[in-house]
Formats: sequence, C-alpha cells, structure tokens
Amino acid sequence: MPTLQHICEWIYTTHLSTSIRQSPYSFPAIETVHTLGIAGVVGTIAILDLRLLGVVMKKEPVSHIARQVLPWTWAGFVVMFVTGLLLAIAESQTDYFNWAFRIKMVLLLLVGINPLIFHLTIYRKVNTWDIASVTPLRARLAAVSSLILWASIIVFGRLIAYVNT
Amino acid sequence: MFLLAVSHWLARTHLGIFMRDSSYAFPAVEIVHLLSLALFGGSILLVDLRFLNLGFKTQSASRVARELLPITLGGVIAMSISGLLMYAGGPMRYYHNPAFQLKMVLFVIALVGHFTLQIAVALRTFEGVKEGFVKAGAVASLVLWFSIGFAGRVIGYV
Repeated sequence: MPTLQHICEWIYTTHLSTSIRQSPYSFPAIETVHTLGIAGVVGTIAILDLRLLGVVMKKEPVSHIARQVLPWTWAGFVVMFVTGLLLAIAESQTDYFNWAFRIKMVLLLLVGINPLIFHLTIYRKVNTWDIASVTPLRARLAAVSSLILWASIIVFGRLIAYVNT
Repeated sequence: MFLLAVSHWLARTHLGIFMRDSSYAFPAVEIVHLLSLALFGGSILLVDLRFLNLGFKTQSASRVARELLPITLGGVIAMSISGLLMYAGGPMRYYHNPAFQLKMVLFVIALVGHFTLQIAVALRTFEGVKEGFVKAGAVASLVLWFSIGFAGRVIGYV
C-alpha cells in the first residue's frame, strides 16, 4: 500500500476525523464556511486580476489595488485552508481515491506557483506600468491563469461530492 | 397561490423538464451558481468593507461602489438565473423547504437593501448624510448575504 494511502487511512481513524463524520452538523457547517471562504479568496483576487486585464478600476494604480485587496484575500485563504483541511481529514480515506480531489490538489499547487512567479518577475517592475490601463502581457497572462485556475478549483471542488469512490 | 401556480408551470416548461431529466444539467448549473458566487461574494465583500472604511481606502466609497457595480450586479444576475434553473428542475423539492423559504425572503431583502445602498453611494445621493447610516447598511448587507449563503447550503440537508 502506498505511504500516502496509509497516512490517509490513519487520519481517517483519528478522533478529529471520526468526530466530524459522526456529528450531523459538523460537515455541512464546515463546508458552508469553506464555500464562503473560497468566495472571499476568489472574488477578491478576481478584482485584482480584472484590474490587470483593464476591465475594472482602470485609473487606479495596480499596486494600490493589490495592497488593499490582498490582505482580505489572505484572510479568506486562511478560512478556506483550515476548513478545507478539516473536510479532507473527515473524508481522507475516500478523498485519497477521488480523482476530482486529486486534480483539485494539483490545481491548488499551480495556483500557488502563479502569484509566486508574478511577484518575483513582472510585479517587481510594477512602478513602470502601475498606472497603465493596459498592463504588460506577462501581467495579463498571470491574471488569466489565476482566473482559469481558481475557476477550475471551484469546479473540481464541487465535483468531489459527485464522484463515487 | 400565485407562486405555486408559477412553480407548477415552470416545472412543465421545456427547461424544467430538461433540468429534471438530464443527469448533468443540475451539477453543471450548480457549478455555474458557485462560480458566480465567488465573483459576487468577493466584490460584495470589498464594497461593504469600503463602506466600513476597512478596505480600498485609496479610493472614495462612491468610486468603489460605481466601479464594482457591474460585477456585483452581474454576479447577482448570474446567480439568479442559475438558481432559477435549479429550481425549475423540481420546484416542489424547494417550495416547502424551510431553508429555501428563508433564503428567498432574506434574498429579496438583501437584494433591495444592498443595491439601493450601493447605487445610492455610487450616485453620491448620501453626500452629507451621516457616515454611520452607510456603515450600518454595510453591516446589514454582510450579515444578510452571509445568512443567505448558509441558508443556501442548508437547503440540501433539510
């Protein structure tokens, strides 16, 4: 048996995992907070992405939007991450085999790499294009990847519940 | 009952029958509903946070309300259409569901309340009006939309 599967089965037997599964309210309640957390992350990051694409707030410097929006994106991310972890702990044994869950995890990794590249490269020179209503191609590419990746994460996240394992 | 008659009619339309009989239509529309929620929820959050002086302070409240109006309004329209499609697939599953009834009541209040506030601020109608009024409205908007989200999730569990 693969090590990861072994770990997932062990997590499944822990007190935390069984108590979430046994309560009739825990799972739906955590799931709802998870959904609203995602809305907080994706909705706020989408505003920044749409600014990079020149769709909204064209006259506002990109760095202003980033500075104001990102703290709330991170707040949403913490909510999403903690609740998501709890949901995965509760269903670790079945999630391990769930293809939608696996794809979602890969997408989450990619969506983390995207802003890393963005901030280490083109955003470093933001002062040269901060007020441009049409931003450099690489910034627009980062915005499009972010929008597509987050949308896919929502799609595969929802599919987890529809996949029979 | 007018609403009951409309629901029965909706279930018999081509759209209602398609939503009921296709095994992919419901999950697909539900995903569209969630995608719209992400865009809508985030932009509503930013608008209300601006009204509460907690975010977007480099821009005026009226500017933020105006610039984000296409997104909040577009989001609520996309959510309403996808929501209506899900409802059309089996209105009687929802019509008597207390979580659904609560969600719809809260939705109408939030829809009228929030957009009246956002449009009024965008048009600077409240210039000179006490800031506390707009802040109270923003808190009410956040509480209402959060409750709608919760009630929406509960529908599936009632």
